[in-house]
Amino acid sequence: MNALTHLYLPGAVAIWSALIFALAAVWGYSQALRGDATAIAFGRRAYACFAAAIGLTALMLILVLLMRDFRIEYVFQYSGLDLPGHYQFASFWAGQKGSFLIWLFWGTMLGLAVQRTAGKSEASVMVIYLATLLGLIFILVRENPFVMLSQSPLDGQGLNPLLQDDWMVIHPPIMFIGYASTAIPFAFAMASLWRRDYDGWAARAFPWALFGFLVLGCAILMGGYWAYKTLGWGGFWGWDPVENASLIPWLCLTVLVHGLHMERTRKRYRRANYVIASMVYLSVLYGTFLTRSGVLADFSVHSFVDLGISGWLIALMATFVGLSIWLLATRLRKVPTESNEDPILSRGTFLVLATIAISASAFVITYGTSAPLLTRLQANVAQVGPEWYNLVNKPIAIVVGMLLTFLPYLTWKGDKFGDLIKKMIVPLIAGTLIAIAFVAWKVHDALDVVLVLFAATALATNLHKTIAKWRAGGLRAAGGYLAHAGVGMMLLGILASSAYDESTKLTLVQGKPVTSHGRTYTFTRYLPPTEEERRDRMEIKVVEANGKTFSLYPRMFLNQRTQQLMVNPDIRKSLSADLYISPIQYDPGQPQLALTKGQQGEVGNVQVKFEGFDLNANGNALAQMASGKQITIGTIFAVTRNGQTTQVRPVYKLNPTNGQVETPAVDLPGGGAIRVSKINASGGNVEIELAGVENRATLAVDVTTKPLIEMVWFGLYLMLGGGGLAMALRFRDSRVLERVAEQRAAAA
Amino acid sequence: MKRNLWYVVGGLMLLAFAGFSLMSFQQSLTPYVSFEQATTSPRMVQVMGGLQKGSADYSNSEKALSFTILEPKSAKQLRVRYHGVRPGNFDDAISIVAIGRYDEGTKQFEASKLLVKCPSKYQGAEVKTYS
Repeated sequence: MNALTHLYLPGAVAIWSALIFALAAVWGYSQALRGDATAIAFGRRAYACFAAAIGLTALMLILVLLMRDFRIEYVFQYSGLDLPGHYQFASFWAGQKGSFLIWLFWGTMLGLAVQRTAGKSEASVMVIYLATLLGLIFILVRENPFVMLSQSPLDGQGLNPLLQDDWMVIHPPIMFIGYASTAIPFAFAMASLWRRDYDGWAARAFPWALFGFLVLGCAILMGGYWAYKTLGWGGFWGWDPVENASLIPWLCLTVLVHGLHMERTRKRYRRANYVIASMVYLSVLYGTFLTRSGVLADFSVHSFVDLGISGWLIALMATFVGLSIWLLATRLRKVPTESNEDPILSRGTFLVLATIAISASAFVITYGTSAPLLTRLQANVAQVGPEWYNLVNKPIAIVVGMLLTFLPYLTWKGDKFGDLIKKMIVPLIAGTLIAIAFVAWKVHDALDVVLVLFAATALATNLHKTIAKWRAGGLRAAGGYLAHAGVGMMLLGILASSAYDESTKLTLVQGKPVTSHGRTYTFTRYLPPTEEERRDRMEIKVVEANGKTFSLYPRMFLNQRTQQLMVNPDIRKSLSADLYISPIQYDPGQPQLALTKGQQGEVGNVQVKFEGFDLNANGNALAQMASGKQITIGTIFAVTRNGQTTQVRPVYKLNPTNGQVETPAVDLPGGGAIRVSKINASGGNVEIELAGVENRATLAVDVTTKPLIEMVWFGLYLMLGGGGLAMALRFRDSRVLERVAEQRAAAA
Repeated sequence: MKRNLWYVVGGLMLLAFAGFSLMSFQQSLTPYVSFEQATTSPRMVQVMGGLQKGSADYSNSEKALSFTILEPKSAKQLRVRYHGVRPGNFDDAISIVAIGRYDEGTKQFEASKLLVKCPSKYQGAEVKTYS
């Protein structure tokens, strides 16, 4: 009972009742499986109560966040009085506990739809699905978000300023819908093995696999866009463990979607699909373990520290790995397969090869992300950087591009190479012309040229086929082609924008134009925060080579609460290339400098290096100190101006009797003067002031052009749009099949 | 027969890819090392240390951020130079991970990537630099 006294009771009661209702639903569905026909209604009712309890739990957390009830530790940790309204929602998933709750919430709500699409397999599917949800409930019971503090603080600690962004409101919840959805195909597959009912699951799971592919894909896209547009990380993808943890399940889902497509149309992959469906869910659990147990805390920039739930996550993983292995080992050999060998040059073979290629990518990314675990036994723990991921994924991208080029024209029964080329000659030429344009532009590396060629032809052939289907009135069935055209476009965009970007660092003195790569940049002014623009901005006027003029406004501001320096880039978007300006350093142009011994500083065009003190500048300073006379401490500076270095020795005089200080200025060669305004002899540092040196505000920026980056986003839209079309089609299929089965049952 | 040949070709390609990725994996590993090891190793490594307060400054002429980190165990110092954008919460970092290579000439650790660790209150704190 002691544990209950420091829990916020309504929230705790909601979580505990959810646990009880979930167990009741499992019991009801299990009874239904034993043949008790009335029990299924009990299971459904219990599930509805469970869903209501989870809804209530989430609502309760939202309410205490909105009421800013800082007695609750979670609210205290992630919210604050100064946090604007919509960010208070973002506090919900800012911490570990809340993000498990949002995951559980979506999982529970999706379960309501799973019930309705599961048909006669409902009871067994729901038992497995509830088991996946119970894992999350156990974590939440242990890591209860409603823990209360012993006293009530007046203000919370606030939300991490880096997370105070509109994307934070939308990106994480969508990511968690994606994660939650991966348990659905898993539940269908495991239930099918468990009940030894090997038909029908593929049709029911197919639209859900596409749903997961679509939602997780959207979330990844948003994450990349957020990193690129606002966070100023310089790119949209950094191969960070947390990013990889979302990419690996998405790649597995991609494989599953194609596997299920082959099972539905060709009765192929009937055994493999069970393995793939388990990999989808297990990869989510493994990613969660890697990123939330603290094992990668020193490797990920998302820096998750150990929260004491590693044991739970390992137990959760072990449970579901064990369940999958047991079901696969005992049932898989009994799954009937038809050995209809496809000809080499056929749609079937190419699809198989594509799934192997994507699986290989998922595998190497998993391997790389696990590097810190794999090297744990060695002397030095190690990780691999983005270069490795790019290197090993490039050949895979080439293979995928090649397969996609031919896929739209291949038939299931096999084709002759000559006929094939004849059918696709027009898009092949179009793709080749695009590739030639890339080579003429600046792609010369052999592997890059091959990648560009296949990506461009894949784009052209798939687009050609999409349009043909559309004209024939069958856009609904063109989802796959549209998605594949998107892949081709995306590959082109990724290669051009990340391997052929150009980056320079410029130092912009206020009002002085600087020309670089044909553009002229002028830092015109600093704009202090206003009512509408709460963040300090820098105005940079850019003149293009053709005379076109525009201004960009990157931001650089101190977060008032944490005193963190925040940086947001600004981007001039265009189809050919984005111009990306990220501020590095802003110097408002004050003439003071604080230097330690050996340190160098700059004021305007003068560089000053503090070389040390001179205790014998006017008699020995130590002797003067002992005798109580006026003390003179000399200082030595190396001053560099226009490449010429001279030594200057200003002095600092202190009268110990009345505390009076004299700091005479010393002229600098080339005009101006220097004087020492403060001395800290024990700390070994000084403060100096430079007078008469022209010193305007200076802004250092990183200017990058990212060619064709718009193709990355547009390609992703096409891919996800195609996925959406396919999903609509497959949900319809699944409903029709269900109705047919019902009618047959009624007739019999 | 022809089909078997294709299987052999496919299998060999997969094997070649596996070998290639494993070999490049070994070469691309950046191990965590002590400051002492970092100053003698020619390869890409990563070091972790606390930021010495007030040691960071950005030089417009070098276009680089330089700072000193302290190794907690040995109390050794390492001067780090970084040519990227100053990470957002750099100044209140409790520790900094620098990934890069020691330059014998400049006696500095030339970092190509920084990871900044903030006080634990931000358990989800994220700051990163892609480079």
